[in-house]
Amino acid sequence: MKFLVVDDSATMRRIVISSLQRIGFSDTVEAGDGQEALAKFDSSIQFVITDWNMPNMSGTEFTKVLRSRDDGRHVPVLMVTARSVKEDILTAMEAGVNNYIVKPFTPQVLKEKIDALLPAAAA
Amino acid sequence: MTSTRAQEVLYESEAALRLVDHELTGMHDVRDAAEAPARVVPMLSLSELPQILEQANAQILNVLSRLRASRAALQTSALEKLATTHEKIREVTSATEDAATNIMDACDRATQMVDELDTIDAAASPDREKAGGIRHNLRDELFLMMGALQFQDITSQQLSHASAVLVEMECRLLDVAKLFDHNADHVQIISEGGHSAPDEATYDPNATTLNAETRQALADEIFTAVRATAA
Repeated sequence: MKFLVVDDSATMRRIVISSLQRIGFSDTVEAGDGQEALAKFDSSIQFVITDWNMPNMSGTEFTKVLRSRDDGRHVPVLMVTARSVKEDILTAMEAGVNNYIVKPFTPQVLKEKIDALLPAAAA
Repeated sequence: MTSTRAQEVLYESEAALRLVDHELTGMHDVRDAAEAPARVVPMLSLSELPQILEQANAQILNVLSRLRASRAALQTSALEKLATTHEKIREVTSATEDAATNIMDACDRATQMVDELDTIDAAASPDREKAGGIRHNLRDELFLMMGALQFQDITSQQLSHASAVLVEMECRLLDVAKLFDHNADHVQIISEGGHSAPDEATYDPNATTLNAETRQALADEIFTAVRATAA
């Protein structure tokens, strides 16, 4: 399964990618913001993990654009962000995010959320 | 209070002081006229003096009251912002220390495991099963160290917020300085010297390393509730 990992922090991208490798997913593509992610997204991507606060295009804007594309309408999007107030979580849901992880996260939480979305990713 | 409002208050104060000055000048002219033998027609009589002074007093009290109000508002706003920023910086220090402690602890445990593996290897008949278990735990420790580095992303957002507050405070102070000194227009501020405020889109002002489990539980609860409603 191919993952697209979007975060403006190179440290966070490495942590997420290493976490994915640890739970058995080694096929990953990375992007530093929403615009780059849109440019790199194609039908081979089966799962998206994105941050919220990023330059040029935020994670929620990226998700909205993704949802408007035929090839991105159903791909699972997992948001991993420091934002954790109720309004933010609802905004992310409205943008089309399928699940939400609050930073700092544990590998267990990441695995749990990915496992829950895998059926949708495989469909 | 905004800098525009502060400016308005100061303009009002200046106008009131001009009025007082005007009244006093008028009184001065009357006194001069009374003293000059050639000019015998006084503009105001002495009986009007208490009323003029009363008006002047009321204007001055009004000005002082507005100045006090504006100062209090400026102080409250500035102090609140600075207190939040101070708190963020304290949290950065604490998060950095926590992460360093966690990494050091994991390093200690990892070193101990490597020693155990050395002992197993040195044995006449090495216990491969036990060694396998230790290697598994060693990977967990290394992974824990990597996870602890998430503090970097969060503290970076906290520092961006602190930096934005400092730039805003600098601009406010410059606005106040300009009210009193027009030469302040030429003062070079940090935010104009290539050190602009961080892009608001790149950080969360409320980013924190604290209570991650509670915050995750809230997110899970909201997702579950919204999905249940939608279903």
